[in-house]
Amino acid sequence: MADRKKMSVAEILAAARAEKAEAAAGEAATQASDAAPATEDAAPATEVAKPAAAKPAAKPAVGKDGGRPSVAEIMKLARQKSAGEAAAAEKPVVKPAAKAAAAKPAAAKAVEKPAAKMAPLQRDTASILAAARSGSKPGPTSKADAPASALPKPKPAGKAKAPPRPVPPKPTRPTVAAKPATTDRRGFLSIAMGSFMAVGFTALSVTGGLFSLGLARFLFPNVLAEPPSRFKVGFKEAFPAGKVETKFVAQYGVWVVNSEIGGEEQIYALKTVCTHLGCTPNWLEAEQKFKCPCHGSGFYKDGVNFEGPAPRPLERYAIQISDDGQLEVDKSRTFQEELGQWADSASFVTA
Amino acid sequence: MHSNELFLKDVSGFLGGYYAAIALMNGIAAVILWQRKNQPGWAIIWTVFASFMMVLGSLALSGTESTVPALPEAARNLVNSLSGPVNYTVGTTVLLVAFFVYRKFFVQPMVAWTLFNVALLLMGLSMADQNFALIVMKADNVPIVGLVFLLAFFTWVATKQAVVNDERIARGEPPMEKVNDEKVLVWPDLVYTELICMIAVSAFLLAWAILLPAPLEEPASSVKTPNPSKAPWYFLGLQEMLVYFDPWYAGVVLPSLVIFGLMAMPYLDFNKKGNGYYSIAERKFAYLTWQFGFLELWITLIILGTFLRGPNWNFFGPFEYWTPYKVEVLNNVSLTQVFWTRFLDQPIPVAAAGSSALTQIGTILLREAPGLLLVGGYLVLLPPLMAVTIFRRYYAKMGFLRYMVMANLMLLMLSLPLKMVLRWTMNLSYIISIPELSLNF
Repeated sequence: MADRKKMSVAEILAAARAEKAEAAAGEAATQASDAAPATEDAAPATEVAKPAAAKPAAKPAVGKDGGRPSVAEIMKLARQKSAGEAAAAEKPVVKPAAKAAAAKPAAAKAVEKPAAKMAPLQRDTASILAAARSGSKPGPTSKADAPASALPKPKPAGKAKAPPRPVPPKPTRPTVAAKPATTDRRGFLSIAMGSFMAVGFTALSVTGGLFSLGLARFLFPNVLAEPPSRFKVGFKEAFPAGKVETKFVAQYGVWVVNSEIGGEEQIYALKTVCTHLGCTPNWLEAEQKFKCPCHGSGFYKDGVNFEGPAPRPLERYAIQISDDGQLEVDKSRTFQEELGQWADSASFVTA
Repeated sequence: MHSNELFLKDVSGFLGGYYAAIALMNGIAAVILWQRKNQPGWAIIWTVFASFMMVLGSLALSGTESTVPALPEAARNLVNSLSGPVNYTVGTTVLLVAFFVYRKFFVQPMVAWTLFNVALLLMGLSMADQNFALIVMKADNVPIVGLVFLLAFFTWVATKQAVVNDERIARGEPPMEKVNDEKVLVWPDLVYTELICMIAVSAFLLAWAILLPAPLEEPASSVKTPNPSKAPWYFLGLQEMLVYFDPWYAGVVLPSLVIFGLMAMPYLDFNKKGNGYYSIAERKFAYLTWQFGFLELWITLIILGTFLRGPNWNFFGPFEYWTPYKVEVLNNVSLTQVFWTRFLDQPIPVAAAGSSALTQIGTILLREAPGLLLVGGYLVLLPPLMAVTIFRRYYAKMGFLRYMVMANLMLLMLSLPLKMVLRWTMNLSYIISIPELSLNF
């Protein structure tokens, strides 16, 4: 066993199979000879059991050319074995055809015994692997195969002797009782995948819902780190006639202007956002206009657009005289000239 | 003047190298012309030019105001006074048309080489001007200068091949591409070429990143917009379009139409000729439409936006100082104002305050009736009119649907130059202006 270290996994498995097979073959033989005296009619049945047990177990030890068995060989063996097992296991359960009726009691007895004896044999790695492989192929290999492989595979005992084929023809009769519970990997996967998908999508929707709630919460924070939307800018006297106060731009984004509108001296707060594409215009004192650096829009001191692409005048913020006599700008309300909102008394303070 | 002396000291080293590089380039060209092409006359001309460049280079290295070669003050002032959006656009259009019409002359290698050298010389002379150098040598703009030359080169190569093919086709010979259709293997030929290109470009980018670091600016602020504020160079055409249109049109509709039009192009094209080879004569309409849209309406606008638009998006001449206090009178009027107040001498219709929504919409429609009719007529009446006149052959070949798509795409493309002309000639801001609904055209 020292050279086992140098063996590949497949070789180790093959060696294990060979060892077990020797024992199994011996046992099966004794069982068969035990059963023989019982009745001559039972012989075919035991013969069925014998190759089924001995043949597949013994074979994998050596591949076709004495090396490791190819995948095709493994598959072939696995199929043979499962056929044999099915035959052995089915006998007591599935009602035999009328032909075999005469031999029934004896044959059943004879078969029952090896079947029961064989059960512990399946516990070894090789058998489990073979059983798993026999359950189903990775996918249908042909059109004819596709519907057939989707059905359970009960195999009549007589078929076991027939040369193994890649696609054994099967009766379409669904026999639930004959379905080996552990070997149908496809069925297991479909159940597992189905439930995984269900679990996954449920988790996704729950996570998505929670994330949306969290996002909504994030959009309405407890504390705002931005300047308040209502702020005081000083007394009226700080804004002499004709003056555009630019010192609130950096913090609040607002110009406070004292200008004559329609023959009346008004103080109003202009929003420092160009109505074209939202850049911040500059107040040019020498030219007496607001000029946008992005596309050259120009606005008069009253905020009305007159050059460049800006389609409408600058917007005004609400302004009022607060309780202590200071001017207070409220950025939460805006007034648009083109909608006739500059007539609103909240949009200016009479100087 | 003091600052100019400092500037010249700064730039003299670069200019010396620049002229030396031109001299070297022309020296190599002269050797090739003499030995390989057997054109000793041209070889002598470029040798003389190269030595002239060496003289200019050594003068530039001196770094004093009297010796550094530069354009005379008067010439610079003349260029400045002549430059403006109108002259720029008309000038580039005339230039491109001349290149197209006399393409047989311009595709001659020696003509192109002369033009290239003249451009390089003019650029060298201009770079002795502080204002010009400030813009052209800005780290952001250096690659754009390179791209302009690169684009000119590739356009020239394509035109040259097209001219050669057109002459061959006129003589009844197959195009060059059909003659030299030798197959090239992907492996190893193409893959090796790509590998070499990859290494060369990586090395170039590495050197560039070290020599011309990206200009980092202060942290962004929503209440402080840099002046001038420029889009990335490839979007400067878009920014220039935005000067003439409402954002929804120039920023959303037109770019989408450009992409849609580019996708529709192969399906609109019914001309089977010119497939797999360069040709202008066989596909005049396709060639001219494409070059108008690309060179005229995209590339020239990028150059304009990069080099000639300064603070407040005002137009500045190439040697002009970029002052944010430049005053340009641009009092715009909308077509509504022109029509009602100037033409009809009536007040613009306004819905009474507090009137119903229906009345307000009716008043807006009445107020904007001239603009709506004009735009509607442009987009609805012109296509059928063109189908029976100038595009009769196209309509017959393309069928109704394809013709309509082509005609409308073309009219929408032409809306940009039309609007520009209207702005320059009439100071027209918008043809339809409904600010109540943010709908302006």
